[in-house]
Amino acid sequence: MLHRKIVKFAVPLAAGVLALSACSSNGKSGGGGKSGGSGGGKTVTIGLQGPLSGANAQLGINVKDGVQLAFNQFNAKPNKPFTVKLATSDDEGDPSKANAAATQLIQNNSIKAVIGPIFSGPTKASEPLYSSASLLSITPSATNPQLTTQGFTSFLQGIANDNLQGKAMADYITKKLTPKPTKVYVIDDKSEYGVGLANVARADLKADGVQVVSDSVPAGTPDYSGPAAKVANSKATALIYAGYYADAAPLAKKLHDAGYTGAVFSDDGAKDPQLVKLAGTAVNNWYLTCPCTDPTVQASTKTFATQYTSTFKTPPSTYSAEGYDEANMLLQQITKLGAGVSRQALLAAMKTADYKGISKEFSFKSTGQFKGTDVWIYQVKSGKITFLGNVNQLVGSAG
Amino acid sequence: MSSFLDYLTLGIVLGSMYAIFAIGYTLVYGVLQLINFAHSEVFMTGGFVGMIVLTEFAPSRPHGFPSVLWMVIGCLSGMVGGAAIAWCLERVAYRPLRKAHAPRLVFLLSAVGASFFLYNLCGKLFGRTPIQVPSLYTNSVLFHWPGTSVEVRVNQVVVVGAAVVMMIALDRVVNRTKLGSGIRAVAQDAETAGLMGVDIDRVVSRTFVIGGLLGGAAGFLYGYAVSGQVVFTMGFVPGIKAFAAAVLGGIGNVRGAMLGGLLLGVIESFTVPLLGSEWIDVAAFVILVLVLMFRPTGLLGERLGRSA
Repeated sequence: MLHRKIVKFAVPLAAGVLALSACSSNGKSGGGGKSGGSGGGKTVTIGLQGPLSGANAQLGINVKDGVQLAFNQFNAKPNKPFTVKLATSDDEGDPSKANAAATQLIQNNSIKAVIGPIFSGPTKASEPLYSSASLLSITPSATNPQLTTQGFTSFLQGIANDNLQGKAMADYITKKLTPKPTKVYVIDDKSEYGVGLANVARADLKADGVQVVSDSVPAGTPDYSGPAAKVANSKATALIYAGYYADAAPLAKKLHDAGYTGAVFSDDGAKDPQLVKLAGTAVNNWYLTCPCTDPTVQASTKTFATQYTSTFKTPPSTYSAEGYDEANMLLQQITKLGAGVSRQALLAAMKTADYKGISKEFSFKSTGQFKGTDVWIYQVKSGKITFLGNVNQLVGSAG
Repeated sequence: MSSFLDYLTLGIVLGSMYAIFAIGYTLVYGVLQLINFAHSEVFMTGGFVGMIVLTEFAPSRPHGFPSVLWMVIGCLSGMVGGAAIAWCLERVAYRPLRKAHAPRLVFLLSAVGASFFLYNLCGKLFGRTPIQVPSLYTNSVLFHWPGTSVEVRVNQVVVVGAAVVMMIALDRVVNRTKLGSGIRAVAQDAETAGLMGVDIDRVVSRTFVIGGLLGGAAGFLYGYAVSGQVVFTMGFVPGIKAFAAAVLGGIGNVRGAMLGGLLLGVIESFTVPLLGSEWIDVAAFVILVLVLMFRPTGLLGERLGRSA
């Protein structure tokens, strides 16, 4: 009798434990790349920290696939000086899980550098750890401006920060929309990234003499009808949503239901085909700004886009090309310094390096801030995110 | 005035969803005096099963009667999915513990474990990014509140209508049927009910199934009409809210759960214009704490057996 009871318990329990461990064990090795040729026999491991699961995982997967493609191409070279391996660590885009994700990479002594974290909140949480371990962490996508003002010593921000993106949104709204909006509604998602970006946009809009109405709707809010009704009732003619696509999509639907007809602007966190997939026609005519170019449009990234599409059966999206570039930039430095390079030496070399990637040129100020200042704007037109151009050029580089 | 009606409408829609979700917590508490923390996964299952059925089988953009029919089929499949998971939960996570007379705390752990297992399994099977629920009809304006410009849309009527039908049906089942008197008897005094010939195991199992039917329906309505998308973590926040709604109305009390759900939805809705969207959770839980300070057993009092 007792045995049967134990079995009754143990079977589901064991099944549960197995399934759970299957979920978490994908953090260990994200290899997957074919290693063609024999190479020098040495292996270099590069870490990647970002959201590989969770509601906004697509942005992390975009970067991971870009990096993986760069590694596959490197490993396929017949005269490669070493074999490169990818070790991923999932932070779910959640600051509270960022420390564990960073520690997992730091404690792996074979890791020379880390690409990521992908989101700003987790980056802010993880960087003190990377700094004290002198392990380089280079993000392709975390755009919060404060990340380079906290004295982190091993952080490089491979992207123009949100001071520029917020200003680009404000400029586009005040200079390109007709009639010029007198009242703009700004919603943030309470994340490090959303609040940072929204505050820059609010300040710039106020400086341009526009009345700003603010609201904060925490990411993961079950029902966006209330916030959307508030937008519609406010009579604002433009709206900025600073947050990620998983929340932008339900908001778009509810704005549509609430009868809101003004212009809507969102950001690089929302700029993914997932937004259109989730929100359908409700997201048509939304503007999306991003300090990233469209890899399928730019001439320099066309080859990359074809290779990416044939490898992963989906076209590259937001930050795929940036991830690819950063991976190649690291490989270039490691090739120069040798596979046995220390973390510190690689970090020092990367800080002063200048790399012309396929998406843009990568070079950094002494704080780790990106030197480039370009922000691009896109618009959703009949279900596709279409490229409009460089904001500075569109608004006529007015200071 | 018009914006008052606007937020009231939104609150009633959200509240009716909370109400039918909360009933699952309250029913199980009534018969077993334990909180079924895995009920949020029943909700999630309802949302996913409904989404899968609509995606796989429903024609895209049906017109007229077929769209109503597929809405009913989607809801029913969500209910069946929810009931099936709830039944399994009772079998796997609770009954063995009940037979072994395990302490209360163990039930709680078992429920939380089952919840982790289920939502991670779902994430593993269907991916961890949100999935859109196909829409069956244009969510157009059905009517305006008399004398105002406040719109009421099809989806809002569907949610409230479905919830009202289910709440009336449930109230009938609990108060008028043999199964209902069984549930009330077990809730009042399980041991005595057993001596009187009530099959406790069967009553408990069916209570879970009833809670599962309503939880699955709530999940489907949430996925279809409220957020328009399903994701493996979708049960978590609404689950906490529905649990709070059950406590607010008096846990163990079916009518209390209905009242608590509606109240919570309306409070949340009015927090948005009055305090700002970031205060939604704060306002809802401050009201909960205040009510419990003055009426520790909730608005309508505890216990299924005594008050229903």
